[in-house]
Amino acid sequence: MQNQGIGGFPYYLGINSLADVATRADRVCVLNILGGESRQVTPTSHVFSGGNVVFGTSPGRSGQSLKTAIGNIPVYNNVREGLDAGHAFNTGVVYLPPSGVRDGVAELIRVNPDLKKIVIITEKIAVHDAREIRAMAQGKGVDIIGGNCLGVADSWSRTRIGGALGGDHPEESLLQGTVAVFSNSGGFTTTIAQYLSTEGWGTTTLVSSGKDVYIHYAARDFAHAFRNDGRSRAAVLYAEPGGYYEQEVDFGKPVVACVVGRWKSKLTRAVGHAGAMAGSGDRAEDKERWFMQAFGVDGLYTPENPIVSRKGAVVTNIAHIPAALTAVMKLSGASPDFAPRGSLSLKPWIANDQGIELPAALAIPPVTAPEPYAAQIAELAKQVGVVIARQNMKDRSGASVMDSKTQVTSVHGISVLDLALEPLQASFALPLVHEIAGPNDGALLDIAVAAEVNLVGDPILVAADAARDAGNSPNTVMAAAAAVVGPKRVARALACSRALIDLFAGSGLKDGRDESFDFGHVKVDEATRALFMAGADEADDPRPEAMLKAVRQRGGRSVFLKFLEALGGRPSRDALLAAISTTIAWSPLVRKRISRLTAETLPWYLRLYGVMVGASIPGDQHQPGSLCGISREERFGEWTMADLCFLAITGKKPTEDEARPLQMLIGLLISNGPGSISAQGAKGAVSADGPQTPDRVQINKAMVGFLTHTGYSHGGNGFEGMAFLLQQFKAADLKDPTDADHGLDLKAMATAFAKSYKAEKRSAKELGGEMRALPGVHHPVFKGKPVNHDPRERFIADFLAARGNYNVFHAFYRELVQALYDTGATPYVFCVNVDAVIAALLLALLWKDYKAGTLTERDLETAAFTVFLYGRMIGAAAEIDDHLNRGRNMDTRTPEAACSFVM
Amino acid sequence: MQLTGMLHGARLLQHVDFPASEVLGPDASEGEIKDLIKRHGQVFIKPLFRGGVGKKGKSGLIGKARDLKTALAEKERLYFAEHRHGNAVAKANGVTFEGGVPAEHEIYFSITDDTRFRAPTITLTHKGGVDIEELGKDEITTVPFDALTGLKAFVIANALSDIGAPKEIISPLVQHLPKLWELMHHYGMTTLELNPIRMRADRNGRLMPVACDFKCGFDRDDPRVARLNLPDHLFAADVSAFEQEVNELRTHQGQSDVFVINEKGTILAPTFGGGANSLVTEVLGEAASISSDFGGNPPYEKMKEVARICYRHFLRQSNVLFIIGGKSNNTDIHETLRAMGDALREHFGVHGPTPLYVVVGRGGPNLVRGFGALGETCDALGIPYRFFGFDSAISEVVNYAKSIDDWMKAGGRDQIATHLGIKPATL
Repeated sequence: MQNQGIGGFPYYLGINSLADVATRADRVCVLNILGGESRQVTPTSHVFSGGNVVFGTSPGRSGQSLKTAIGNIPVYNNVREGLDAGHAFNTGVVYLPPSGVRDGVAELIRVNPDLKKIVIITEKIAVHDAREIRAMAQGKGVDIIGGNCLGVADSWSRTRIGGALGGDHPEESLLQGTVAVFSNSGGFTTTIAQYLSTEGWGTTTLVSSGKDVYIHYAARDFAHAFRNDGRSRAAVLYAEPGGYYEQEVDFGKPVVACVVGRWKSKLTRAVGHAGAMAGSGDRAEDKERWFMQAFGVDGLYTPENPIVSRKGAVVTNIAHIPAALTAVMKLSGASPDFAPRGSLSLKPWIANDQGIELPAALAIPPVTAPEPYAAQIAELAKQVGVVIARQNMKDRSGASVMDSKTQVTSVHGISVLDLALEPLQASFALPLVHEIAGPNDGALLDIAVAAEVNLVGDPILVAADAARDAGNSPNTVMAAAAAVVGPKRVARALACSRALIDLFAGSGLKDGRDESFDFGHVKVDEATRALFMAGADEADDPRPEAMLKAVRQRGGRSVFLKFLEALGGRPSRDALLAAISTTIAWSPLVRKRISRLTAETLPWYLRLYGVMVGASIPGDQHQPGSLCGISREERFGEWTMADLCFLAITGKKPTEDEARPLQMLIGLLISNGPGSISAQGAKGAVSADGPQTPDRVQINKAMVGFLTHTGYSHGGNGFEGMAFLLQQFKAADLKDPTDADHGLDLKAMATAFAKSYKAEKRSAKELGGEMRALPGVHHPVFKGKPVNHDPRERFIADFLAARGNYNVFHAFYRELVQALYDTGATPYVFCVNVDAVIAALLLALLWKDYKAGTLTERDLETAAFTVFLYGRMIGAAAEIDDHLNRGRNMDTRTPEAACSFVM
Repeated sequence: MQLTGMLHGARLLQHVDFPASEVLGPDASEGEIKDLIKRHGQVFIKPLFRGGVGKKGKSGLIGKARDLKTALAEKERLYFAEHRHGNAVAKANGVTFEGGVPAEHEIYFSITDDTRFRAPTITLTHKGGVDIEELGKDEITTVPFDALTGLKAFVIANALSDIGAPKEIISPLVQHLPKLWELMHHYGMTTLELNPIRMRADRNGRLMPVACDFKCGFDRDDPRVARLNLPDHLFAADVSAFEQEVNELRTHQGQSDVFVINEKGTILAPTFGGGANSLVTEVLGEAASISSDFGGNPPYEKMKEVARICYRHFLRQSNVLFIIGGKSNNTDIHETLRAMGDALREHFGVHGPTPLYVVVGRGGPNLVRGFGALGETCDALGIPYRFFGFDSAISEVVNYAKSIDDWMKAGGRDQIATHLGIKPATL
């Protein structure tokens, strides 16, 4: 049954007035109502319109419904089912995918005799289908708006049909007035309405027409309805090139036409708007001419040259629309609908020039945004530290990465080779603050960790000694100690760091070392002050004073320490630890390089470092006020972390020449990437506690996870190289491994060994046995060339050579790989790998004591393992903090499909 | 996506059994060419252009030959011929040899979707072969027809009557022309033009229409085009490597339309919305590297991938990263800005830092969250930025981005480089 259209048109047109486009009487059926886009948009339209969607369709989902704030919309398999259920509608909205649109339109037309109009939201509809859609609708007498459009809306009737005009809050942009809007661009439909309100113009009906080849409700159709709409005094048209839709259209009332797209003549392909590719005769310039002819103007309207007539004006910049409209309407004595709302001037909401100086015209200061955005931005500003989105972190790390070509690992962007050259304490906070500590922070770190190392009277020492006496490896001993440092042991320190951050968060402090900062305005309440003060249990503990004295002695600067001292009273050790950690974390925190969580938990890591180093020193060396015979005052006031580690391994204070190689060794060992077993252990422990509830993650337990995942093969194998060297040098009379005049014929030694090794290899082959790998020689990546090098070994060798440091063991290794090749034991010259360097450096450090009998071979083995642990605990801290911030609960689990059963 | 010439045209016409002139491709042997000349007396040698090529001025680019020697000489002349149309210069790569069709009548025929009628429309004249724009109104007819019923014989007959076409051509045209609608409608074409169709007489004097030239345009959004099994390289000339990468991500869920404006552009402007795309491309002009529309609410992964590709191709040379759109209706601003920020962070991680100023003009759902996420990334990377909401005129924001670009060129870029710790050599 065909509908009767409006007379005088060579085709069917049903809508006679803009007031009929979107009315409160329209009942709507949405096809594919449960699709992704409709789900977001339809509820808002429905609520805004007072509930105009009677039902929707989604094949196979009959019985489901779409929730909205004013009640659920029922869903049926198809249109007929909905009608049979008693619903009636006159308007269809199509959200189907492109290939389904044509048949959806056919269904609406064929099944519902009351159908009057359809709004097609879908984009990228084939022209083939668009042709047939037009023919079907024309045949039946149904108006179609779209395709590729955002629907229609009416500011008077408060109705919105189809798409998302006005976004989530249409009431904000759809202000009642007297201007109708017709736009080829969906997004700009709303933008134009907003722009109009800056000149005091409100809207009547808004139509988003789309810009496909077929525009089913086009300018001519709009013009007719516009002329017949008593509410609309004027209209704004936004047109793009392509199509003759706007040619010779009589609007009857004033119109501002905006034509954008002169550059499209250059295109050979449509971008975004399928129909906006002009051929000839329908380019942007042509359309400008059509409108200029219709309005009787001879040029475009610009603020500099405001050409208008009573009939209208033509602009090519949408920002000119409001002023052009006001100018046009003024000619007939008409004024805007209301007082101007807002303006279009540049109003940055958020800016940061990062300290770079821009010219004044460009450095526009941010303004207060309109509500509710202003409140949201204020919330953002209050946020201290970076917020990281969580993801699965199995075998992934944001802290460390290994370069596959060089096998060199970087932690937070700094390679371990570079870390090896820094003082050890500079690397201690690196895992958390992502930056190398300078001398001031380094000094503070030395004091903070030193204050934790002496464990006299602490049950931790009992546990560590018991583990040691039971014959456990060094990592197990450390683990026993770390296990005791649980949440209650750090609760107050963490509470202090949290409080300090809260107090200074909005203060404007940028650098924790800036002692000139006036913290007079930072107000502390009684409860917080009490938190910082030492309690009765600490009355006899001399360490708080010792720490403060050491800070002064070393010239350490910290706003937070100054702040604590200014409170009067006696700060607790926990408060001092928190003040130091917050000093170091403050700048990266404020610059949003690290998260608040990281800054808050830093004290836990520092305490753990101290305890683990302390646990590696046998109990009898821990005495009140002295450790291995060195006084507290001396350690706090002068010693570095490297000094402490040397003391722990040898029981003696190192000279500078001794401290440096140890520092390098430890630095080299800091990390081997997230794939290493030690990293996996740390990450798994975090994952198992559940990083998504960070308060429940036991950081000490995560350290235990790292420790238990090292062992004689991973971390403890450093001794293998030393054992090998001990054997090679057994018969040698070597007094000083660092003296080049040792008088040994290294070449001969190497050759002799190479020959016997070759023989051994041959007989092992004949017997079918496995040949032992030589420690310190060869590498699965650095191989195959005639002469091979491990870049990490090269780096250290070059550095030491440049300083004139000689190491006989290292020199021996170089002879060895050459000899192995010369004797034919290896097919080419193997590299000397980094393990060899580590063994050589460490053995040289301990050689004299070993020769003197003060250290046994077992002690050497323990030392090698311990050195590894000192380095790797820094890398573990990095992985722990990283996984805590980024990971998801249980994410390190391996799915069952990746596992297999073996008989 | 356009196709010109009989090399492929003849094959396409075969799908609907429409007669075409005999064609040989550029790899025809001398023997084949000789035979062709023998059969038809005359051959036309035409350069092979890819894609759409305008007709104006092309006449100098058609060769005629009655013998092999001339044919080969023309082949040499035209093999790499250049043709300027509009702002583009097309370069041929090959020639076709087409058998001449002697005829008294030359017909012009085309079908297109005419926006004046909003229906498929034929244009027909028996005074074809020349520029139809020069014909009088009564010599050429333009007739829309119903897409569902299709192009019926009577429509052709009526049209030919209207222009007073000679009766001997009516019956053959009525018989064959409707087939062209089948070709156009069912194989995803948007335009089809045959000019000329020559009416060849058979032994009995009966006339048969033979297509002697072919031009059509395809609808990128119509899967029916795939029925033709046309090789991709036919349309590949249109598209740069960058455009191809991005357009591969083109799905129904969010556009990823992109076009290279200036390979050396200094403003990289991912744009959201067809309207914004129009405005931004217009105002930025040659400063922009691309013209794009990434709207339509793309999901995080897709947006990140698109951003990654854009950065890889254009970030190093860019002064400004300009993310711009109107007040979005459904695109989630947090998702898209977060994706672009994450891609930027990763890009810096892999390729190292590059001096950049970030300007954003946007509105829509989760706007402030999006600003927050992107702002944090910029802070973490140390790059300066300014974000505008929807209450700043979009055209002013675009002008601002241009001003920043100018400032960068006048020394701002070096300032940012120093701040980022980039050594000048790597700039």
